[in-house]
Amino acid sequence: MLFPLTVVVFAAALLLLAVSGWYAARSRLLDDRLLLVAAVLELGVLVQAVVALAHLGSVPGDRAETATFAAYAITLPFLPPAAIFLALKEKTRWSMGVAAVAAFAVAVMTARLQQIWNLGG
Amino acid sequence: MADVTGTPRTDGPRSTRSGPGIVLVAVYGLLALAATGRSVLQITEYFSRAPLAYVLSAVAAVIYVVATVALARGDRTSRRVALVAISVELAGVLVVGLASYLATDAFPDKTVWSHFGSGYGYVPLVLPVLGLLWLRRTARGSAAGSA
Repeated sequence: MLFPLTVVVFAAALLLLAVSGWYAARSRLLDDRLLLVAAVLELGVLVQAVVALAHLGSVPGDRAETATFAAYAITLPFLPPAAIFLALKEKTRWSMGVAAVAAFAVAVMTARLQQIWNLGG
Repeated sequence: MADVTGTPRTDGPRSTRSGPGIVLVAVYGLLALAATGRSVLQITEYFSRAPLAYVLSAVAAVIYVVATVALARGDRTSRRVALVAISVELAGVLVVGLASYLATDAFPDKTVWSHFGSGYGYVPLVLPVLGLLWLRRTARGSAAGSA
């Protein structure tokens, strides 16, 4: 997996986590700034999915690892839109909790992708 | 006590997906996704290695999906379904968690509930407790939990 891409996605996820935490603390709702961060993150995971699927043949490990790798890469782009969809309908600070959960999940899953890739050394 | 901030509601129970509930739905949804994915992989790729553990894994996945949908819907029937699903979930994580320490042979690799969900940051252990507390709290009606 392209390491710089992982760093960018991971950083965007942490930024979304930070912004949503900050918004939750100040009782703010979804706005353009948060949407922009989510959009950057979405773009990152989409590129990541394309790159990951293009290199599926060279994933180290057995078939199960390859399957996990592909499943994570494909699932990731669904998380930010799903979180935004849920957050839009909730008009309290808890909507930011949903964004934070999704951001955390994206960070963990991206790290896991890189971890599987690194098995090859 | 006067409650002037909340929207006017009747005495019915508060929706399980409002306020903190929406975060609960999100975390349940995520676990449903993780458990289903892992379960499909285990059953299709190496089922014979630990049939019992992987069947329980599939049961866990179904429970999470049911709980997610029930909490997200939040009507009267869903509330009952959620109560059953989350109770089974709590029992499951406790029993499987304990069994994975006592009968290590039957649980060769991690599933959502083995070792009390340590592979998922113990979220599977905490989640059903939060879920049950949330169901109890929302059952009291709209006055509760307007943080």
